[in-house]
Amino acid sequence: MNKPRPSVLALSRADAAQTRFALLVTAALSEHQSLATSPDVDARLRFARDQALARARESRQGMATAPEVVGRAGGGAVLGGGPEATPWWLRLGALLPLAVLLAGLMLIDRHYARSQIEAAVEMDAAILADDLPPEAYRDQGFVEFLKTARP
Amino acid sequence: MATDKELSDFLKSVEKRAFKRTAYTVRNDDAALDIVQDSMIRLAEKYADRPPAELPLVFQRILSNATMDWFRRQKVRNALFVNLSDFEGADDDGGDFDLLELLDTSAGQTSTENAADSVGRMQVLRLIDAQVAQLPARQREAFLLRYWEELDVAETASVMGCSEGSVKTHCSRAVHALAKALRTKGVTL
Repeated sequence: MNKPRPSVLALSRADAAQTRFALLVTAALSEHQSLATSPDVDARLRFARDQALARARESRQGMATAPEVVGRAGGGAVLGGGPEATPWWLRLGALLPLAVLLAGLMLIDRHYARSQIEAAVEMDAAILADDLPPEAYRDQGFVEFLKTARP
Repeated sequence: MATDKELSDFLKSVEKRAFKRTAYTVRNDDAALDIVQDSMIRLAEKYADRPPAELPLVFQRILSNATMDWFRRQKVRNALFVNLSDFEGADDDGGDFDLLELLDTSAGQTSTENAADSVGRMQVLRLIDAQVAQLPARQREAFLLRYWEELDVAETASVMGCSEGSVKTHCSRAVHALAKALRTKGVTL
């Protein structure tokens, strides 16, 4: 058996009644609140509002000053003037530490290569100046002799 | 951007309702005041640059989030106790009486109120307040946002984080539950 469906008119009438009832209830709530709110609550709410307004002012001031500070720093105010006052040699000077670092690395590399070469030369000189001919080290029996002769 | 006066006027217009709504939810006036204060400060710090027309919706969202944060900070038992009340009376749709009947009979009586009835009126208001407080949390939130804060259905759904259909259902159930409870108590509006 099919249940009869409510008409659109009946639904809108029910919606209107619901809204009207709800508004009467909320009006009663507002009336009760205006009569029954304690002075302590009023004072706390006023204090909270004042705090919020103070924070809003601070927030607005922060937003207003931030772009100005950024603009100055970006323009080279740290070096004592606006963007047009920065000379080219000062800008070039900013590259000086990088150049010094590169030069230092190159010097260290050259010194290391030189010390390697000097060590090799000393070894070669010692072998060539020795009484034993260099070919002796290619003899397997002599190598075995050296190994067993050592303590 | 909202000026100081606009922000102050807005906060003044919503602060008492915000306090009451939060007090209904957390059942603790001091906690409700703290939550409202935190919400006001959060609004002022982060959203003071918004146009005044956007403030109501933003504030309601902040207040709802701050209330949820408060519950998260509480013990799990308390949070569960409040949330479980959402499921109470889920099938109580108030379909066994006509809301219009209640309104039709109550409409004529509002005008008969006079000064001598003020004590009785106060009792009625207190009773209505208590009945609203007894509504399940989600129904009460939807009802108050929709009809007390005067948000539309979409805005209410946005604040509550649910669908528009759920908002309509919550509101309808809240209205019927209130109407039934008030009629049982013999209260007329």
